[in-house]
Amino acid sequence: MEDNDFEGFDRCAKCGICLAQCPVYKESLLEKASPRGKIQLAKFYKEGRGTLTEGYRGIYGQCLLCGACATVCPTGMKPHEIVLGMREEIVRERGLDDRGSRLVTSIQQSHNISQEDNEERGEWWEELKGLPGHRVEKEQAEVAYFVGCVASFFPMVQKIPRNMARILDQAGVDFALLCGEEWCCGFPLLAAGAPEKVRDLSQHNVEAVRRLGAEKVLFSCPSCYRTWKEHYNTRIVLQHTADCIHELIQSEKLHLKPLAPVRVAYHDSCDLGRHSGVYDTPRKVIQSIPGVTLVELEHNRAGSLCCGGGGNLETVSPELAGRLAKAKIEEIKQSGADVVVTACQQCVRTIASSARRQRLDLKVMDISELVCIALES
Amino acid sequence: MLPMKTQDDLRTIVGEDGFFTEPEDLASYSYDAFVKEFMPDAVILPRSTQEVSRIMKVADREGLKIVARGAGTNLSGNSVARQGGMIMSFTRMNRIVEIDIPNRCAVVQPGVVNADLQKQVMKKGFFYPPDPASMAVCTLGGNVALNAGGPRAVKYGVTRDYVLGLEVVLADGEIIRTGGKTIKNVSGYDLTRLMVGSEGTLGIITEITLRLIPQPKASKTLLAVFSTVEEVAETVSAIVGAGIVPTTLELLDKVIIDLIRNVGSASFPLNAGGVLLIEVDGDEDAIEKESLKIAEFCRDRGAVQVEVAKTQEEAEKLWQARRSVGGAVYKACRSAVVEDAVVPVSELPRIIRTIGALSKKYNLKVGVNAHAGDGNLHPSIMTDVRNKEEMERVEKFIDEMYEQVIAMGGTLSGEHGIGIGKDKYMPLEFSRRAIDLMRGIKKVFDPKNLLNPGSFL
Repeated sequence: MEDNDFEGFDRCAKCGICLAQCPVYKESLLEKASPRGKIQLAKFYKEGRGTLTEGYRGIYGQCLLCGACATVCPTGMKPHEIVLGMREEIVRERGLDDRGSRLVTSIQQSHNISQEDNEERGEWWEELKGLPGHRVEKEQAEVAYFVGCVASFFPMVQKIPRNMARILDQAGVDFALLCGEEWCCGFPLLAAGAPEKVRDLSQHNVEAVRRLGAEKVLFSCPSCYRTWKEHYNTRIVLQHTADCIHELIQSEKLHLKPLAPVRVAYHDSCDLGRHSGVYDTPRKVIQSIPGVTLVELEHNRAGSLCCGGGGNLETVSPELAGRLAKAKIEEIKQSGADVVVTACQQCVRTIASSARRQRLDLKVMDISELVCIALES
Repeated sequence: MLPMKTQDDLRTIVGEDGFFTEPEDLASYSYDAFVKEFMPDAVILPRSTQEVSRIMKVADREGLKIVARGAGTNLSGNSVARQGGMIMSFTRMNRIVEIDIPNRCAVVQPGVVNADLQKQVMKKGFFYPPDPASMAVCTLGGNVALNAGGPRAVKYGVTRDYVLGLEVVLADGEIIRTGGKTIKNVSGYDLTRLMVGSEGTLGIITEITLRLIPQPKASKTLLAVFSTVEEVAETVSAIVGAGIVPTTLELLDKVIIDLIRNVGSASFPLNAGGVLLIEVDGDEDAIEKESLKIAEFCRDRGAVQVEVAKTQEEAEKLWQARRSVGGAVYKACRSAVVEDAVVPVSELPRIIRTIGALSKKYNLKVGVNAHAGDGNLHPSIMTDVRNKEEMERVEKFIDEMYEQVIAMGGTLSGEHGIGIGKDKYMPLEFSRRAIDLMRGIKKVFDPKNLLNPGSFL
């Protein structure tokens, strides 16, 4: 953290309005878990009044980085950025803990979050039938589809890139995957407080896209999308798949068929909504399918409630992340929707896993799946 | 530091996850929304009245000072341990015990968030009017302890007007009940009312019975723009004098209007010297007539523009602008000192002039917004706490302002409380004898001075 950030702590009026927005605070109801508490503790430390104990690591680990607090702060503070700054400070002063070290090692050695063979990233593709085999063989393409670690390696959400590939294919988009040349975008490292390690990854990824001659990179994962936008130094056009699908519908490259009447709730993911400002296009896509009625969740758009999958919280405190996912599901149930759609693989995975653990019959899908159903119905 | 034996006793009562002494935990309970901060020796989060009672028995035995805390949003330093001791946070006693429709009341634990209760009673067609600006997060226990108000107080009154009964744990741990579910109750001294606004100095509130009223059917919002803030003040005192009772009557002066002109979607004319934001509620027909009458009233008194919001969205836009005042003030300066004074409504024009003159005299940037219908002003002094010389001028400004407020028949605080922020002004408003009476009451309730010691007495 720079000294001028420290000066900025005075901007916190300690009014506490952020407490009402913070899902993590609402679980423990302890001040240190709140955005205000985290700002004040950072100030304490920076003023030399507190030592950076492991207690601090625990406190700053418990944040979704969802940014809901910032949307209501009367003085315009961004508490989640202070949390990130403190995570970095803790890593600088005390080093990574075991969990952090494992993550960093995994990403540095295998170039993905799952310690898997990175060449296996494209495996889900094998199951696709009837599409031209422009997988690895393709040396040039207009669009590079950056799949992201979660959708590459977690079977539960591998259908997202599979569906997206079908959509792109049907719309006649000239695209290719980076396959083994796709490395983790670096987002988990940023969240772990180790941003300096992102550089190698970004350089590699930009180079891989350049080799493909692509003018555009597509992302289903809002966190990859955001990391590229905010931390990659590139002029390549970056687009989330929700925006892409919307464009393809607008230009009549996709023809959606009517579905039997269904109520669809849209969940705004933190990285696509609050952090990237994409609220309307996914809704427009949903509404463009005949037969579908869009339902709003109680907390929506900038006020959306994080699913619990943000900020590496799941690795630090799985039990807490689980309770937050449960709260999200409760909100979805209250909406009376038949299906909940989001545009984030991490949200799909978090919500669907929690529903499965609770033995709930909740239909959770990425926007690409809904669109695929409408294409093929 | 608390003796280990005491720590063990307290931990036994609330469990490991309810008692804290780590430096990070103490630091996070060393502040509230007031400027001064004090480090407590321990923090405890009880979950039931029985636990509170047992904690107080330990405190009584050990002479441990206790400061009750809700969400820590108060602006008077009422939830910080000025003399050390233990913070008792009520955020985990947050259950709505009962919404009793036949008796038109709600029974709640003190940690229930104001807005959560409002939401729940609204579902049943009822209404809990007190609406402090922090209602999305502040707790009802804190609201009762500080007798919180809000913009709707003009028509609906403050927290005190809704508290029917309380359960209180006394300083020695004994549990008493005051009042009940009935509107009428003249038995004995009114201990309920004595507790309301006692700022945590007399007992620990563990359960609250609140009166509910039927939800108004409709509401309407008006904006009146005037060339001078004095005209606004005159209009307010005339509206009130004419027997019209709007739900809210909010005044914003030129300094504030200029700050929020570029915030959100509100637009105020450049020549506006002051505006009035008015809401009326009730039956459709009645509010239609009332709003026409108010509009006419404003025009007669020099309003250059009167606008009635045609849709809910238009009204929401105006209230959003009003809600952005706090943030705009904090953004406009390094540090803001927000005061809370009340004068009789007829003195509004005079106090507004006085504040203008004092800000010139001490060369300070001061904006005024006011819940004008009840004479409650919040002058915001935009300053920098690091500038010692300016802070001295700020202090002089505040000293002189309160002298004038009291001289006009006003009071030191309308809704923020005295706490550790305004204790030095108490002799302005109260005679020595009156203060001695208060100290006597405190002594009866809390002979060992364990409860929020060092607060206003």
